[in-house]
Amino acid sequence: MHIPDGYLSPSTCAVLYAGAAAGWYSALKRLQRMLLARVIPLISVFAAFSFVIMMFNLPLPGGTTGHALGVAIAAIVLGPSGAILALSLAIAIQALFFGDGGISTLGANCFNMAIVGSLAAYGVYRMIAARAALASKRRVVAAAVAGYLAVSASALLAAIEFGIQPMLFHDASGTPLYAPYRLSVAIPAMMIGHLTFAGLAEAAISAGVLAYLQVADPVLLRGTSGCEASCESIELQPASHALRQLWIAIAALMLLTPLGILAAGTAWGEWAPAQLAHAAAQAPSATSPAQAAPAGLQRLANLWTAPFPAYAPGFVKSRSFGYLLSAMFGIGVLLCFSLSAQYLLRRRRRKGTPV
Amino acid sequence: MPVLFELRDVCFAYDGVPALRGLSLDIARGERVALLGANGSGKSTLLRILDGLYPPAQGSVSFDGVTLTAERLQDDGFSLPFRRRVALVFQNPDVQLFNPTVWDEVAFAPLQLQWAKEEVVARVTDTLELLGISHLRERAPYRLSGGEKKRVALASVIVLDPEVLLLDEPTATLDPRSQSQVINLIQEWKGSAKTVISATHQLEIVEDIADRIFVLEEGGVAASGSTAEVLGNHELLLRANLVHAHRHSHGAVTHSHPHVHSHAKHEHES
Amino acid sequence: MRRGFLESTTMGFARAITRVMLSERTARQRGLLQSLDPRVRVVGLFALLLAATVSRRLSVIAAVLAVAIALAVFSRVSLFGLAKRVWLVVLAFTGVIALPAIFVTPGHPVAHLGNATITEQGLRAAALLVLRVETAVTFSTLLVLCTPWSHVLKALRALGLPREAISMLAMTYRYVFLLVETATQMLDSRRSRTVGVLPPAEQRRMAARTAGVLLSKSLATGNDVYLAMQSRGFQGEVQVLSTFSLTLWDYIALLLFLLAASVAMWMGR
Repeated sequence: MHIPDGYLSPSTCAVLYAGAAAGWYSALKRLQRMLLARVIPLISVFAAFSFVIMMFNLPLPGGTTGHALGVAIAAIVLGPSGAILALSLAIAIQALFFGDGGISTLGANCFNMAIVGSLAAYGVYRMIAARAALASKRRVVAAAVAGYLAVSASALLAAIEFGIQPMLFHDASGTPLYAPYRLSVAIPAMMIGHLTFAGLAEAAISAGVLAYLQVADPVLLRGTSGCEASCESIELQPASHALRQLWIAIAALMLLTPLGILAAGTAWGEWAPAQLAHAAAQAPSATSPAQAAPAGLQRLANLWTAPFPAYAPGFVKSRSFGYLLSAMFGIGVLLCFSLSAQYLLRRRRRKGTPV
Repeated sequence: MPVLFELRDVCFAYDGVPALRGLSLDIARGERVALLGANGSGKSTLLRILDGLYPPAQGSVSFDGVTLTAERLQDDGFSLPFRRRVALVFQNPDVQLFNPTVWDEVAFAPLQLQWAKEEVVARVTDTLELLGISHLRERAPYRLSGGEKKRVALASVIVLDPEVLLLDEPTATLDPRSQSQVINLIQEWKGSAKTVISATHQLEIVEDIADRIFVLEEGGVAASGSTAEVLGNHELLLRANLVHAHRHSHGAVTHSHPHVHSHAKHEHES
Repeated sequence: MRRGFLESTTMGFARAITRVMLSERTARQRGLLQSLDPRVRVVGLFALLLAATVSRRLSVIAAVLAVAIALAVFSRVSLFGLAKRVWLVVLAFTGVIALPAIFVTPGHPVAHLGNATITEQGLRAAALLVLRVETAVTFSTLLVLCTPWSHVLKALRALGLPREAISMLAMTYRYVFLLVETATQMLDSRRSRTVGVLPPAEQRRMAARTAGVLLSKSLATGNDVYLAMQSRGFQGEVQVLSTFSLTLWDYIALLLFLLAASVAMWMGR
């Protein structure tokens, strides 16, 4: 799922570079608190390891390539920040030196695979493994599921990034300027290959390597095992300040996407209330099948898609696209909600804890 | 001769597995010493402790009268001069070669120690010349042959002109010509007040590179003495797993012949 | 299928290594790009790459590609080699991906193939995509062929990338080759010890075990590398000697690069 140059518009690349930069900054900041020097060779080793794993490539039609990443095992041993850096390094070397994955899309690739992939893998692993013994079978399962979901999440993000290109970036005659397949094609194309082959490959590698380490070198697994006592880990505790900042950044990005898309359609602020009302009442375009949907969602969907200029291809105005935007917005809202809830709970706990 | 290294009751373990148990020894300035021991006897660990890379779990290590502690080694004022005076060449050259070109590799140490640019360039050029690898300066270190890699690794520490050279298995895995090149290099320092401490299990080179030997066995010093003394003590060598014995039997009688390999003298004892 | 996989991966490794060797040879030639300061090379080639990415006109992208080809010729890069290693590969790969777009993109129909309609928009979309990718990959390949890896790193450092990133990039690059060699040896020895084709479950287990051993070895080496760095005075920040200096020719070249890129971006908007 390395995205080459030319598949994403410059503005998409810029936005994703910003997201990636947030991730890198947060990861570096986090690791600098511990001895970054000690961790450099470790991260480089995992970067090289991930690079080698990514060399197993399988071309997929309608998308790019499918392959395992090694992201889950990196997140399990190094923790999320180390994994973010390790995977980003591997992706950078592939792009710079081996022409695999573009340079203008380096930010996008790092965002999808290194940042979201690492966070997803780490989160899922910690959730499923909980406080199980280091050598337990449960951890092997946790690693497999973490790997599978991380690869799927990365592939989905890449598919979404492809799929919105033709809608947003086309010339006057409707020719898509970058990736030419809309969401309804891009998502299944990418996901079929990744949900089957690549996801399973990642699951197998994560589980296999973890099982091996459980026997050969269990010390490596201690860092993210969740046992507070006697842990010489690279990461201190789970959610930290820098990591939370990263989540906030991602939430903000997701909240802003509809706004960005709207800005592409009409100039912000030019809407008259009449226009909005008209948009809300507008019937869906003929290209989308009639679907039963909650009235509120329907209205929201139409709100997002209505302001697009008249020459936009039919599928831009389809309800499915509107749903997608609503979903992203919704996820952004949920993220914000959970982050604020965590924050409030932590404050309450800190106040209530005796010194 | 003044004592340079003083170790008292040093203990060290890797993740619970003991490597050094109560080891004590003294090494004087200008001595050429060999640490003799089979694999697993603690030689490499000892060298790393001498280089201040690990603090001992118990006991003390002192260099030139100053005890090496973790805090002292974090302090730039102490560690920078220390790193210049004491240099370690690792057994596996790949571990030491991580810069993009040979030139960069040799320049790494002086740059870390913050030498002036002109001096770095001058010293690196001289050192490459000394080791006969000037023609390799733009090559990537990891694509060289075993002998060339070893010479680059040596160059990367010699460039500092250290007082103490710690060598971990200096001739292991080298072909005969490279081996003799390395041995010649070590011998050339004979008169220059350099202390050389080599860890090896290869008896055949010990005579050429050391005047005194410490025999290590299971994390402690089993014996020490001059080269001639130790190499003549076959029981000791056998016990420390440095020589092998041929056994053959005549009926009920079994003869055991200790077998020593040596370039200088051929010893066949019945 | 796993069998073919092992072999194709080993071939992939071998290809990577030969690419390195090729790049070192080309980097030592006396050519146009090689004569420039590495920083100018990095900035200039990236600027043209960006211009190709930003342009919306096929003609402009084609012109930028022509510039890339001219640079290649003057830098003694074999066009035949470029064609074999870059252009054909991208065409095959991106071509396969772009082909369905010809039929799927709505717009003015231009031709019919059985039941399917080829649209003008579809053709243009496919052409845009393929041409863009070809141009971009040509530029990054030119950079890598004409610049030794160490110079790329130093140029990136000089252009502002943080020190830790540079030392990690350098070490990762180094480890990649170590790992690739080790992995190739392990795969070869596995293949020679395996009689017939194993059932897929066993193959997966074997692959995972190989990966695990590879990882352990690499981690042990990594720890030793850190000790080796410490032993030579590394205190946390890698000092790098930058021996670049800009000549008049470099400034002129940089100006030309930026001018060309700006013109392309303007004309392609």
